[in-house]
This record gives sequence, C-alpha cells and structure tokens, in this order.
Amino acid sequence: MRIDWKVWGTVTFLVLLHFGLHTGFGLGAVAPDLLSVALLVVAREVGTGTGAGIGFGFGLLEDAFSALAFGANAVAMTVVGALGTRTRDLFVGDSIYFLPSYFFAGKWLKDLVYWMAAGDAVRGPFVQEILVESPVAAVYAAVVGTVVATVTGAGWRT
Amino acid sequence: MAFNGDPTERAERRHLILASAFFVLSLVALSIPSPAQQQIATVLRLTVLHPFVVMQRSVNGARLRAVENAQLRAQLDTLVALMSNTGSLAEENRRLRGLMQLGGRLGASYRSASVTRSGTPGSESVFVIDLGARDGVRPGAPVLMRDGLVGKVIDVRRSESSAMDWTHPDFRASAMTAEGAAYGIVEPDRGSFREEDRLLLNGIAFFTELDPGTAVVTSGRGGVFPRGVPIGTIVELNEADARWRRSYWLRPAAEPASALHVLVAVEGGFARTDLGRAFSDDSGPESRAPLGSDTTDPGPDNEQSAAERMRPVPLAPTSDSTGGGAL
Repeated sequence: MRIDWKVWGTVTFLVLLHFGLHTGFGLGAVAPDLLSVALLVVAREVGTGTGAGIGFGFGLLEDAFSALAFGANAVAMTVVGALGTRTRDLFVGDSIYFLPSYFFAGKWLKDLVYWMAAGDAVRGPFVQEILVESPVAAVYAAVVGTVVATVTGAGWRT
Repeated sequence: MAFNGDPTERAERRHLILASAFFVLSLVALSIPSPAQQQIATVLRLTVLHPFVVMQRSVNGARLRAVENAQLRAQLDTLVALMSNTGSLAEENRRLRGLMQLGGRLGASYRSASVTRSGTPGSESVFVIDLGARDGVRPGAPVLMRDGLVGKVIDVRRSESSAMDWTHPDFRASAMTAEGAAYGIVEPDRGSFREEDRLLLNGIAFFTELDPGTAVVTSGRGGVFPRGVPIGTIVELNEADARWRRSYWLRPAAEPASALHVLVAVEGGFARTDLGRAFSDDSGPESRAPLGSDTTDPGPDNEQSAAERMRPVPLAPTSDSTGGGAL
C-alpha cells in the first residue's frame, strides 16, 4: 500500500492538536473532536482492518482519561474506523456535499455507539445527548474536517 | 495446486477478520474489570499521553498564577486606595489637631466650623460655614485657621453663615509687621487662576524697607480683625510709588482653598483685641512653617532678627532729585 505522507502528517497533527486542546488546555467541548476527524480522514486511505485498528488505538487513548466508561470510546471508534473505510466502496466522494456529510455522520455515529457502550453511570438522556448535543458537535466536526480535508487534500482520494 | 481465490477478496477477508478482532478487543477493553482498565489507562497516561498531562499541569499552573495575579492586583489597588484615603485623613487630622490647639488658646470666644464651598463659577471667594446667628456669629466676624487669617463673615443666617476669604476683591485688612513698626493695608491681587492669587501689603512708608520673610499680622485697627493674626510674609517689593509709599507682595499664611475647618469669632470673641500670643504659641512641628515661626514669635531671641529685617532707609539725595532735597 502506498503511504500518503500528507494524509498521515495531517492525521498526526490532528491527533496531537486534539489532545493538546482537550487535555493540555482543557478546552472541552469548545474544541472540536479532532480525533474523530483524524480517524475519518485516515479511514478513507486504509483497509477495514487497519481502520478498525487505528480507531481502537485512538479510542484507547481517549479512554485513558475515562474512569467510568473505559473501552466505550475504543468500541465506538473501532466501529467508526471500520465503517469509514467502507465508504470508499459506497461513495465516490467527488460531491461537494460528501465530505461534510461524511464527517457529520461519522462523528454522530461515534457519539451514538459511545452512548450505547457507556454505562448508565456515564451517559445522559438520549434526547439531550444524541439528538441535541451530538448533532451540534457533529456539525462542528464536519466544518473543521471539511476545512482540513480541503486545505490538505487528505480524504479526497477514492 | 490449491485454489486460493481472488487476492483482493483475500485481502478483504483478512481486513474483515482484523476489524472483527479489534472490535472484540474493544469489547474486551470495555468489559474487563475496572482495576485492569485503570492499569491500562495509567500506562497510557504515563507514556503516550504524558506530554499532554504535563502540558495540562503547566496550563493550570499558569491559569492559577493569572488568577492569583489578578487577586493580588485587586488587593494592591485596594491598599493603594486605602493608603490614599489614609493620607488625606492624616492631613485632615493634622489640620484639626492644629485647629484644636489654636481653639484651646483662643477659648470659648472662637468656635470651630466646617467649610462648604459651592464650587460654582463666581463663588470662588465665598464659602459657607455651619455656624449662624444662633451660635453667636455676627457679620464681620473674623474667620481664622491655624495658619492665620482666612477671611470674615459677610452674611449670617440662623444656622449658617457666608464668609469671604482674602481672595475676595472686597477684602481689606489693616496690617502691620509682627513687631508693629510698619503699618499698611493688605488687599488681594487676583491672578489668572486661584493658585495665582496673592496678597499685597500697601501703604508702607517709603523710607521703611521690609526684608523678605518679615511676618505681617493684623494690626487690630478698624475693629474688624483682632490684632496679631498672621496674614503672610513679605516676599518682595511690588512698587515704590512716587517716592512716598511702598507696596510688597505677601506669601499668604493661610490658603483658603485648603480650609476645611475654621475658627469663627462668636459673641465675646470680638472683644479680644490681641491674638498674637495665641498664634505665636503654636509650636507644632508643622505650625506655619512657611511663615518662619521665628518672625512671629515675640520672644527676645527674635527681636533682633526682626529688627534686622526692618531697617530704615537712610536719607540720601537721589540722582533724579532736582534740588528739592530728600523727603
């Protein structure tokens, strides 16, 4: 498999920036979910198993700060990573609406799976978390992901 | 030869197996006991995520320092404000203490009053005191402060009175040097602004020359002001008019703008005709320092210096005299 350094550089940068903003600066929801964006970007470049493995790794890193729902992010991002790789077979990706929809759906799906995997002690009401907060966060991630993909060119290859 | 199938299909199958394995792993991570989960989390936090944890500590420390800095700055501002108020209170205390000392020497014939200035244009030389007719204040009553003469009462109402200070154009005071050797009239000379207002000692005999620093007090003539109240000190000669009189600029003893509390003569206070001793006994460290207390002290030590300051001008013909001789 040919290694696209632009994609991997972008993904590495997004991961570092994600933990820098969320963990280092403690910005929380103010900063977008760049880890999901990075996973969705790289998922367009790798196979299903690799995508799932990367998602699993990203999820474990995210779970390292979770005391009550350890593993929930790993499950969610493994699923998203695996399904993200399948979109290459389903969508060509040359539409201007594809990337925003892709990032939106990926982020929202990740939140949905996380909500299902997390225990009752952690998750909030479904309507509030999945139907209100998650779409807003997904729009945020879609905007940032589209900008990143457009600027770097990563994620366009079909 | 065994049939291995399409390579793409094989790769696809391999990826699916791999993905399934990771999915199962993630489920394992989700379901393993909490201590094992936390062990994994700790390892991740201490290795891969350690730089971000350190970064978080630094950022939190910086935030804490910023908050502490803001709190310290607020405390500093409060202290500065407190110190400023304390400074003005100390100054007011000093004035009141001096006024009380003077009031004690003057006795019950003088009462202390608070000064209020309207601050409106045109009323700069007039102020209101919180003593009136019911307190025994009469029109023309002298208004004093620790440093000397401030002015006099011009209008009396029941519980308050209006007074003019020495910057008022109508202010006049019969004055003399502290030793009583030269007499004249003190009048104001308005400057462009309040701080430029000066006093002029007028009507001094031409052949009497006063040295700078000579104390000038009220003479008691005319019955308006009691004798011996400091008015100011000689600064310099203003003019020697037509060779028959001299006038001198005075440095005022009392600054009306700084008068917040004053002493006002009430019934009986007018009878006292000589207050020189009351003022000359004021021996506080700040007492009329600008005046030079030695000039107002009638003690024997100062008589010589006062005499030196005021010396007669020798009679001698001047170059512009035209045979008429000196006066």
